[in-house]
Amino acid sequence: MTDTDDILRVNDLSTRFFTEQGQVNAVDELELRIERGEVFGIVGESGSGKSVTARSVIDLIDAPGEITDGEIWFDDAELAETVREDSPDAVDGSFVDLLSVSPAVRQSLRGTSFSMIFQDPESSFNPSLTVGEQLAEAVEVQRRASANPRSTKAKTDSAEYSFGNLLLSTVLPSQQFVTEESRERAIELLELVGIPDPVERAGEYPHEYSGGMLQRAMIAQALAGEPDVLIADEPTTALDVTIQAQILDLLDDLQTETGMTILLITHNLGVVARMCDRVGVMYAGEIVERGTLEDVFDDHVHPYTEGLLGSIPELEGANGQLEPIGGNVPSLLDHEMEDRCHFADRCPMAMEDCLDHPPEFDATGSEAHTVRCVLATRSYTERDALPPNYFGDEERPAGDKHAEPDRSDGEQPAERTQTTISDAGGESR
Amino acid sequence: MSIGKFLVKRLLQGVLVIWGVITIMFALRAVSPGDPANLIVGPAADPEIRDQVREQYGLNEPIYVQYVDYVQGMVTGDFGYSFQSSREVTTMVLERVPATLELAIAATIIAVVIAVPLGVISASRRNEPADYGATLFSLLGISTPNFWLGLMLILLFAVFLQDPMETYLGFSFPQGRRTVGFGEAVITLVTTGYAGDLLTWVRHITLPAITLGTYFTAMITRLTRSGMIDEFGKPYVTATEAKGIPYVLIRYKHVLRNTMIPIITVLGLQLGTLIGGAVITETVFNWPGLGDRLIQALNARDWPLMQGIIVFIALGFVLINIAVDALYATLDPRVTNE
Amino acid sequence: MIPDRLESNLRQGFRESLLPKLGLVLLASILIMAIFAPVLATHNPTRTGYLDENGNSYPPLGTSYTTEIGQDGEFVEVEVESTSDHLLGTNDIGQDVFSRLVYGARTSMLVGLLGTGLAVLIGVPFGLISGYYGGRVDDAMMRIADTMLAFPSLVLALALIGVFGSAGFGIPDPLTRFGLIDGMPESTMLPGTVTVVVALVTWVWFARVARGEAMSVRNEEYVTAARSMGASNWTILFKHVLPNSLTPVIVLATIQVAAVILLESSLSFLGFSGTTLSWGYDISRGQGYQRTSWWISMVPGLGIVFAVIAVNLLGDWLRDALDPNIEGEGGGA
Repeated sequence: MTDTDDILRVNDLSTRFFTEQGQVNAVDELELRIERGEVFGIVGESGSGKSVTARSVIDLIDAPGEITDGEIWFDDAELAETVREDSPDAVDGSFVDLLSVSPAVRQSLRGTSFSMIFQDPESSFNPSLTVGEQLAEAVEVQRRASANPRSTKAKTDSAEYSFGNLLLSTVLPSQQFVTEESRERAIELLELVGIPDPVERAGEYPHEYSGGMLQRAMIAQALAGEPDVLIADEPTTALDVTIQAQILDLLDDLQTETGMTILLITHNLGVVARMCDRVGVMYAGEIVERGTLEDVFDDHVHPYTEGLLGSIPELEGANGQLEPIGGNVPSLLDHEMEDRCHFADRCPMAMEDCLDHPPEFDATGSEAHTVRCVLATRSYTERDALPPNYFGDEERPAGDKHAEPDRSDGEQPAERTQTTISDAGGESR
Repeated sequence: MSIGKFLVKRLLQGVLVIWGVITIMFALRAVSPGDPANLIVGPAADPEIRDQVREQYGLNEPIYVQYVDYVQGMVTGDFGYSFQSSREVTTMVLERVPATLELAIAATIIAVVIAVPLGVISASRRNEPADYGATLFSLLGISTPNFWLGLMLILLFAVFLQDPMETYLGFSFPQGRRTVGFGEAVITLVTTGYAGDLLTWVRHITLPAITLGTYFTAMITRLTRSGMIDEFGKPYVTATEAKGIPYVLIRYKHVLRNTMIPIITVLGLQLGTLIGGAVITETVFNWPGLGDRLIQALNARDWPLMQGIIVFIALGFVLINIAVDALYATLDPRVTNE
Repeated sequence: MIPDRLESNLRQGFRESLLPKLGLVLLASILIMAIFAPVLATHNPTRTGYLDENGNSYPPLGTSYTTEIGQDGEFVEVEVESTSDHLLGTNDIGQDVFSRLVYGARTSMLVGLLGTGLAVLIGVPFGLISGYYGGRVDDAMMRIADTMLAFPSLVLALALIGVFGSAGFGIPDPLTRFGLIDGMPESTMLPGTVTVVVALVTWVWFARVARGEAMSVRNEEYVTAARSMGASNWTILFKHVLPNSLTPVIVLATIQVAAVILLESSLSFLGFSGTTLSWGYDISRGQGYQRTSWWISMVPGLGIVFAVIAVNLLGDWLRDALDPNIEGEGGGA
């Protein structure tokens, strides 16, 4: 399936939001290994921290959010050579710790080493520039990067194109950031992602595109820089069901063609089943279960994973309809998080052991299969079960502000008020 | 809808609006108390002379005839004769237009040149001293009546600082009426190479232009700041950041550009404030523009002159707004396509 | 009337920022000044003749100025000292500047609040009907609004006053009328024409906002539901559409009070307001005496600036918290 070399090693990553309600631990001491060329899926509810994880990797965390701790090791021998001089600590073999390099270096990796596809294509394009122009910008980043040897590029990308250039470009076309070659390449890219009449389409504005077309254009834009890692954040959520399949096919084809690594963020297990090699289930800022597709779909241990898959018998209603997981999205507020299994208050099999925060246990199945649940080491007994109202039954209202950090990044209107997973396991939306 | 069609539609609307303005002005005059003839020849005049005057100005005709005549006159650019000076209103209006335009354009230039960078700095350095300074300035700017600001500027520069400025800088801002127009000054410069007139003009216009421009500077600063902050929060900015393009492009090519598009329309609507402000600024600085003449006409109850000036101002307002709409339509691709 | 979420936004905005508090304190002080003017004023604001023995105005407390006075054809320089009787000095005809500042607040606030209120009463129904019925009705009404917008508000106001003159009427002041305070004017002049005129030139902004709101709720399900239950258009307009448009109207009204205060002061400055007890009028009084008596026009100007800042600060607070997307015209000044 894949060879075993990692492209990305995330250690101990913590991303917090400092809001008026308090500190929100959106991502908490997260560990992640992604192999070169694989499609790794992160699945979870809204507010589980999956989007924040993705954005932490590509360095798109805006205030009041902040990566407070951790390391993100990225395998790039060339980059390692360049960085070694200035910050030797940030280099380990061919790996570079992205959190220890200068912001300029970090910024220079956007578009060329990492790129991202967003959930809502309509709001992810600038409405007042043509699609072609916006694609050409992304192409230009790659063109300029490859025109320069990495050493100079890494210094500061933005110094290459300054405010002075921008002012001059209003009178001198030669000073424009985007060149004619890039515009032509943008048209090729549109064609590559299956947009008919790409020449004409390139001159049109985002509002003249359909949602599916625009998502294709966004994929083209993300591919413009020939990235090593593509982060796809809910790439199909905002689209019609029929279009969803086309977009996934396209991503699949492009991945096979280019061999790039994809980090796929979704709340939809159907998408995971179709696309991913390995998957991590995220809950309350941590990965609670991870492994190969088979591990997670067939040999899962964590009741939350089971809930996501909709296979808990008690939760199935009389009409055979899938019932949502009861309870609320967990509060990620630091002062409200207790040092226990964060799922315990919603878990039908919560036991006294769950009052201690579980480490990651190895589980049956493949070598990669681990789970953050005591059920990996013991079985459920009624005797140890917590009383039904142990955590109180007060309900927080839907659309609770505790789920904010994920949402304040502005990308998840489709699951805005969803505190439960009613659509797990299929593209039934 | 193409831009052409869009403009034709706006022009037709504009014609309707101007017709409405003309009608309102006519109606106001019709309901206005007092005999206009009195204003021309005085209440003590011989009734025969008065009748003659009424005949001459068409005041004896039935009201609808007067209306038709009036509209006809307006359409052909004949605004009638001033009651007071018996001169042609059209001439009296047109001869004052350059001074008002000079003032309005200078104020707008000052406003845009100061406000946009200030707004950008304010939005980019939120909650830093620069932002607080800009916010305080803009709060003061929108809250200060410009006639008072003008008086205070005169007090400061033309009274208290006049002598020191003359001594140390070699110039000061004069208090008296403008002596030379921009056009004449430029002609002098081009034909004779003498720049003194132009410099005199600059010294004359500085304080009035600041007075008129302050409110707009403040307002555009506020709009730019809040607009950019809103714009920065939009998802496309994050998506653009993810592409890895230089930050300067994100800030100016994407965010500032999109911020300015709606601001342009707001400014079009605020033109009324600019013109109203010009009227009062001209009064304070004795600036020989339309506003100055309007106040004279009002004080003398010189109806034809007053109507002429107001209709002319409304015409300018409508035309500029159409121009603004056209600009908006070219900048924002969504307008003409929807 | 205001939803909970907005209320909590309002509270939060108030708690977190100094500015709304400052605005509230300023506005409260100015309102107190306006209401209790007879108590706070140190002199009758209309009484003239508080001048020194040479007929010079007194400067504000702690300042002095030199002027020349004629004596038998010769001029001598004299120093005019301030007096503690007149905190902010006196004007050219010897009226107490502080007392006029206090009384000026009345005119500003009365015209600001009444004028805006009247504009709401004209503009909101106009806009609601226009937006709710849509189609031809809307087209016709919006052309009327466009026509009104083509007049700069100050220019239109001047034209209207030019036609109708500027009448005012006295509102009896209970504090003096019942003999609680002596030696103060018995009534306050409300510049009636000006109040009506500022409403006539600003209502369009309310109409635009109300129209937008009416259009946005016209097709909402609950309105359709009400219609299907047989509610008349008027019932729907006033029970469902009007309450929805209140938030933006309140915000706009606050901002417009500032614009109206500026407009009133401009009209008074130009001598078209029909009252002489007004900040704008006092500023024009001082215009000819800038070289010596700078305070005559500076003090009332500060009054206007503080009043407008107060209203603007509150307007910003409401706008940030309630976040309606509205625009209004700035002051005529």
